[in-house]
Amino acid sequence: MSGLLSREKRGSLIAIGVILSILLLFSFFTTGDLSLVRTGGISAYLNTINPGDFSITLLSGLLRGMLLFLVAAGLSIVFGLMDVLNFAQGGFFMIGAYIAYELHHTPAIIAAVPDGNLRFLLGALVAIAIGAALGAALERGLLRPLYERPLFQLVITFGVSILILEATKLIWGVSPRSWTTVFGLNEGSFQLFGQQFSVYRLFVIIVGFALIIAVALLLQRTRIGIIIRAGVQDSQMVEALGINVRAVFTAVFTLGCAVAALGGAVAAPFLGASLGLSTEFLLGAVAAVVLGGLGSYEGTAIASLLVGITQAVVAKFGVQYLNQPVWESLSPMILLALVLLLRPSGLFGKE
Amino acid sequence: MQLSRGISWRAAQKNWLLIGALILLIVFPFIVGALTNTSPTARRGLAVYWQGVMIELLIYGILTMSYNLLFGFTGVISFGHALFFGLAGYLLGGFQRAPELAESGLLIGIVVALSVCAVLGLLIGTATLRLKGVYFAIFTLAVAEMAYIFLSRYEPTGSEDGFTLGALPEWFDPTRSRLTFYYIVTAIFVLTFILIRRLMESPTGAVLLAIRENENRARTVGFNTLTYKLFAIVLAGILAGVAGILFTLLNKKVGPEMLGTAYTVNPLLMTIIGGAGTLTGPVIGAIGLRFLELQLRNVQIAVGDTVLEIGRTLPIILGALFILVVLVFPYGIVGTFVRWRQNRKARDAERLAKQAEALRSVS
Repeated sequence: MSGLLSREKRGSLIAIGVILSILLLFSFFTTGDLSLVRTGGISAYLNTINPGDFSITLLSGLLRGMLLFLVAAGLSIVFGLMDVLNFAQGGFFMIGAYIAYELHHTPAIIAAVPDGNLRFLLGALVAIAIGAALGAALERGLLRPLYERPLFQLVITFGVSILILEATKLIWGVSPRSWTTVFGLNEGSFQLFGQQFSVYRLFVIIVGFALIIAVALLLQRTRIGIIIRAGVQDSQMVEALGINVRAVFTAVFTLGCAVAALGGAVAAPFLGASLGLSTEFLLGAVAAVVLGGLGSYEGTAIASLLVGITQAVVAKFGVQYLNQPVWESLSPMILLALVLLLRPSGLFGKE
Repeated sequence: MQLSRGISWRAAQKNWLLIGALILLIVFPFIVGALTNTSPTARRGLAVYWQGVMIELLIYGILTMSYNLLFGFTGVISFGHALFFGLAGYLLGGFQRAPELAESGLLIGIVVALSVCAVLGLLIGTATLRLKGVYFAIFTLAVAEMAYIFLSRYEPTGSEDGFTLGALPEWFDPTRSRLTFYYIVTAIFVLTFILIRRLMESPTGAVLLAIRENENRARTVGFNTLTYKLFAIVLAGILAGVAGILFTLLNKKVGPEMLGTAYTVNPLLMTIIGGAGTLTGPVIGAIGLRFLELQLRNVQIAVGDTVLEIGRTLPIILGALFILVVLVFPYGIVGTFVRWRQNRKARDAERLAKQAEALRSVS
């Protein structure tokens, strides 16, 4: 990706570097007991700094960032291409989580497919399939008739997000589900500076990285990628060149929804399935998309990780010093509000 | 001369409908009292129950008119209207139940709640109305969600459960003198309607409509569109705050659900179904939908062996209705009716012109 290293983007990269270093330094030095500084024991304070806690926070941040990326990728490309911000994207994540949960916990399915890993894979595939089907239906049936009325497109995706939420509430009820079955993939853990971290979560991070690179290659090296990038620049021009842009719209939108559902399925073993996932991941992903600059793929990828790490750092700080777990849920919205106030064009956006 | 008389006659005709509705609202408690054979001034009974229902419908009407001012008339989408509604409720409740303020707490609460709504509207507007419309939608959604999560976990205000108000003065108490409260809400509802109607007839209203149709054009003509949009969001915020205050007083409690998406989605739905950008549409949508919702809440339909509880599926039905209306019925009830009448008039005029033409060619 030579585009990332071009001269005009150097400023953005420096900004990201500065933000990231501040975040990481803050996280590193707050793992210690800050009250010791006031009582005069600087060295006593330095001794309490815990590299294990720090690395776990960093890994949790990367994990959260990867999940956000799975929601944000579709959101960003679809926005660049079609000028539609899909407010239902968080709903697809939530559906994915519920499907994966259901397929792993229903007795009948456990009897049919006793192998936990296989059942999990099945859940992920079903989540992708349902996400894709719903996404295609949404684009074809509801968005396509409204391209002349962009205000109503926004309203209808919001309406669909509420509909998804209500349907989920009707099927699964309001109480959150936490993952109780065990399966091989989810069991192992490894030690890092004396702290435990699940191998499965590391696996999710690696899959996330692989996906970021795969989508980047898709956009950079394939014919459809060229069409998508051209469409982001000027979709009317692409259409004028004889390419069926509408078909590309549907394909990209479907893929985006499928990937968001996959994100939910992958997250279910540690986040469980709950109604709150919908808005939480929508707003987190929107924060990442806006921070990265609407329509910029590399911006979205980097910003997703940045938002994820911020959330993990804030969560750690909130629990350790403020004794308030609420800050973890609030951080994506606060971050989004701050980005919109300070730099609405985002890190990689055009003014 | 002929023309002006025609217009004023039409205006009078239209106003007759509204005046009729106003009279109906005024005598409503007594009609219901006579029909159910209960006293409208008693503490309980069917007449008082129906007054309560009507009060709730009118409050929804105020909230929806406020939403319509932004969405229908100015073309600005807010996905966080519940923020103003709920925050006003919390502020009023907080001041009202403070023991050290005693009786004056209610008044201070109202003033503070409405001022905060205005300032909040100004702040949110200044921050995001300069940008594309989608940013405003995101920002309002994020801020409302933030307030919702915060208040549902904030212990001093009772977390998930919220808190109940302190004792209200007798004449103002919706349970002890509901008829008085009914007329207070009716008066505020009517004033809101008149206010929005006068606004939309004024030059300022014309600029708001111009912004909705094409903001760039309105700016090119020389209007500072940002100021006008700010005015709209501040006024809409205050009106939503008024609705929130009345709702809190009616239920005598506040809870975080007042900031939830329901109080954003419902006004949006009611505006679109009634007719976005019309004066009476949102009122008809709000009163009609909320009435249906209240009536269908406990209905069960047996289809074969399965019992369908309408109350549980109602949100889904409403959501589906919402999507259907946006797709096939975008002008809503009132908007479609107005268009149909205009078309009919145009057809009539054409027919008359043809007849006149035919007569002239004969002579």
